[in-house]
Amino acid sequence: MRAAILTDVTKCIGCLKCVSACKITNKLEPDTPRVWQKNDGLSAENWTSIIKKPENHYIRKQCRHCLEPACASVCPVGALHKTAEGAVIYDKNKCLGCRYCMMACPYGIPRYDWDEPVPYVSKCILCYDKLKIGQQPACTEACPEQATIFGEREELIKLAHQRIADNPGKYMDKVWGEHEIGGTSVLYLSNIDLGFLSYQKTLGTKPLPQTTAPAMKSVPYAFAGMGAAMLGLNWIVRRRQELGKKQDEKKESSNE
Amino acid sequence: MNRVQNTKLILWLIVGFAAAVGLSRFIYGLGAMTNLTDSTPWGFWIGFDVMAGVALAGGGFVITAIFYMMKRDEFHHLVKPAVLTAFLGYLAVIFGLLFDLGLPWNIWHMIIFWNPHSPLFEVGWCVMLYTTVLLLEFSPVPLEKFSRYAKIRSFLMKFRFLFVLLGIMLSTLHQSSLGSLFLIMPFRLHPLWYSDILPILFFISAIALGLMMVSFESLATHWLYRRQPETKLVAKLGRAAVWVLAIYFAVKMADIFISGEFSMIFDGTWESNLFIAEMLISVVIPIIIFSVNHLRTSPGWQGLASFSVVFGMVLNRINVGGFTMLRATGDSYFPSWTEISLSFGVVSFVALVFLYIIEKFHIWEKPPEYPEADPYTQPSFDYSSRVWLGSPRIAALTKYSLVFILSFAFGIALIPDRHLQSKGVEEVIAKKARGEELLYIDGNHDGFGVSFNHQHHIDSLGCKDSCAACHHMNKPLDKNTGCWECHRKMYSQSDIFQHDWHASEKGADIACGKCHPENERRLVSTARKCYECHPDMFAVGTENTAVNYLVDSYTDALHQQCVSCHKEKALILPEKEHLADCATCHESVPPEHLNELLKWYDEQPSYNRVILPKIKPDSSENKSL
Repeated sequence: MRAAILTDVTKCIGCLKCVSACKITNKLEPDTPRVWQKNDGLSAENWTSIIKKPENHYIRKQCRHCLEPACASVCPVGALHKTAEGAVIYDKNKCLGCRYCMMACPYGIPRYDWDEPVPYVSKCILCYDKLKIGQQPACTEACPEQATIFGEREELIKLAHQRIADNPGKYMDKVWGEHEIGGTSVLYLSNIDLGFLSYQKTLGTKPLPQTTAPAMKSVPYAFAGMGAAMLGLNWIVRRRQELGKKQDEKKESSNE
Repeated sequence: MNRVQNTKLILWLIVGFAAAVGLSRFIYGLGAMTNLTDSTPWGFWIGFDVMAGVALAGGGFVITAIFYMMKRDEFHHLVKPAVLTAFLGYLAVIFGLLFDLGLPWNIWHMIIFWNPHSPLFEVGWCVMLYTTVLLLEFSPVPLEKFSRYAKIRSFLMKFRFLFVLLGIMLSTLHQSSLGSLFLIMPFRLHPLWYSDILPILFFISAIALGLMMVSFESLATHWLYRRQPETKLVAKLGRAAVWVLAIYFAVKMADIFISGEFSMIFDGTWESNLFIAEMLISVVIPIIIFSVNHLRTSPGWQGLASFSVVFGMVLNRINVGGFTMLRATGDSYFPSWTEISLSFGVVSFVALVFLYIIEKFHIWEKPPEYPEADPYTQPSFDYSSRVWLGSPRIAALTKYSLVFILSFAFGIALIPDRHLQSKGVEEVIAKKARGEELLYIDGNHDGFGVSFNHQHHIDSLGCKDSCAACHHMNKPLDKNTGCWECHRKMYSQSDIFQHDWHASEKGADIACGKCHPENERRLVSTARKCYECHPDMFAVGTENTAVNYLVDSYTDALHQQCVSCHKEKALILPEKEHLADCATCHESVPPEHLNELLKWYDEQPSYNRVILPKIKPDSSENKSL
């Protein structure tokens, strides 16, 4: 089963029940945001937030649970990984705190306990504990307007396209997250551009792990190639020196 | 004083500062010691300590390749210092990384938990392996001093060629993989620095930087110990660096041209200017200096050119490592002084170890005479402590430790109190007085509840806009303004005499002479008393109570007026003992109403509460009144 969430921006009324449900379910502490930071509501203690845009647009921000997550591909110890259920989850016992996942995420989702002497990364895990026993995440359960709904990814995409077809002019003709960087498990229907959710307006359809894959694949070749090149160079240099010596000896002997 | 000692004093000074910062980082956490944020999780420590550190240590593999692989025997003098620089450089990288990692005690996890897709995993492994190889490569030098380890030494010497080969291969990998780290961030990194061939660019620049770092370090240490600089060798390295830098420049420019970003270089943004500056410093200036014959052989110009490359390439690594991502993230970041001092402290510490090893072991053909250990110098006299400091060496050690301790203490004193400042208070979703008109609150944070008419305060202070009058949320421990901050007269003495009002034309308009007698200094003590004009304001016998025109607070005044009499009457009147009780006047809130009032607090979802910053409970108690 490929769990997914579809959020319909036009339906959201900004009541924050999802935020509250998330906090209660995941036992998150009260928030202490840091100064000098643009506040999008997310933090180590806030795994989802509602961003308010003009004209009563409320957009829920949370982890997108990419099909090919950049964060999981860059973690040197594999503390983050995409489960079969569809959630990208975090194992804090493996983490060593390099924060590469935070750098790699194009949506800027993973957050850090900056004020703790023993800090961990934290982000939405699609309520993985509930997911495992067949329940839906707390946020979709709490939504009173069915603005954010839970389901299988293929069905939700179908439903999204259905809604676009049924209500001409209501939505932008795009399901956000369908193809973005290889597809995400959290999808959006919207009547405004949601480019602000990521660091760049358009992310393209290429999965991010594919950007580093060529470099990583060529590692053994580079390793062997450099060794061979050095040995070859060494052999040529030695050979030349030997020949040079012999020529010198010949010259000396002929001189004599 | 001599050069070596002055240099070491400066290095110890920086190390002392850094030690204070490093200690605090583990006590207060990363947030308190750095300017890093969720959108800038990598900063100066990664850019300088790790990225630039590895690149600076690239001299080891470049020089060993030239000496062992290309058989250029004239570089023999440079091999040992270069390998030593590389070894210490990698130790510095690992040491510096321990401060940046959130959970440094888990660094060994890379050995057991594998994720081969991650470039960082590869870098980590290569650094581990290469540091080991460098240790094996370098250890024959210190082992030389101990004859009992001769067997181990000869064993290591046998495999030296293999170690060198392995070292070059590993260096190739991770020098380039440091570039691969950033391939996954096309959306963060500025297009002028992002490139699909970032690993190749990193590798080429590491070679150039390696050549120049060895030159710079050779020039610097020779200057330090007043030796003849190895001008000829440096000139040769410079000539090689010109070629490498030219290739680097060509590849970089071609890459930018092909990806159509050429116009970005001159579009006038701060990134474009930074790029031009970086290119000038790291490539153009050194190429020019090393291409001119008489400049190439002059030690001063060599020093300038090699430092220019070192500085420029370090700048490049810092730029790639986070500095040029600010436009994408939209947040600001500049390293705090604590970050900068810790990075410099790590470098200084390594430099001290480097100098120590150079003095102790056979690194150079002719090891430097330790200037402080000169047996013919007289013991020095310290004028501040008025003692003879024994041998110059002990004197030097005293100075070093003094400088270290002083700067450490100074650093501790300067550590910002950011574990409080970095915290804000959550934005509260305002509701209409939480549905209640009358609240039961701890108004003065002193543990005493008062019933508080919230609606009345809202109405009288300006309706909706008035929330901020009490709920500022801008002070570190603030959740709401205490009653006393507005109702000051309730709790503290107040001045009842308005002098300006009496004197001003729009007020009472009384001439000065009416109160202050002529020909006398105008003082409170010489002025007429209030009751002389306002006899009806004073009860009989209280004419002189208004000393200095300050009167007691309302609470004190009321207590004095009422309580004394109440107490008297309680003793005299039969069945009126309760007159002396507080509750007689302070009508307490009925219990059932109190419970109702307190219930709202528990019902609020946790995100809706105003919460104090996480600090130790006892310290927060001290702050309350």
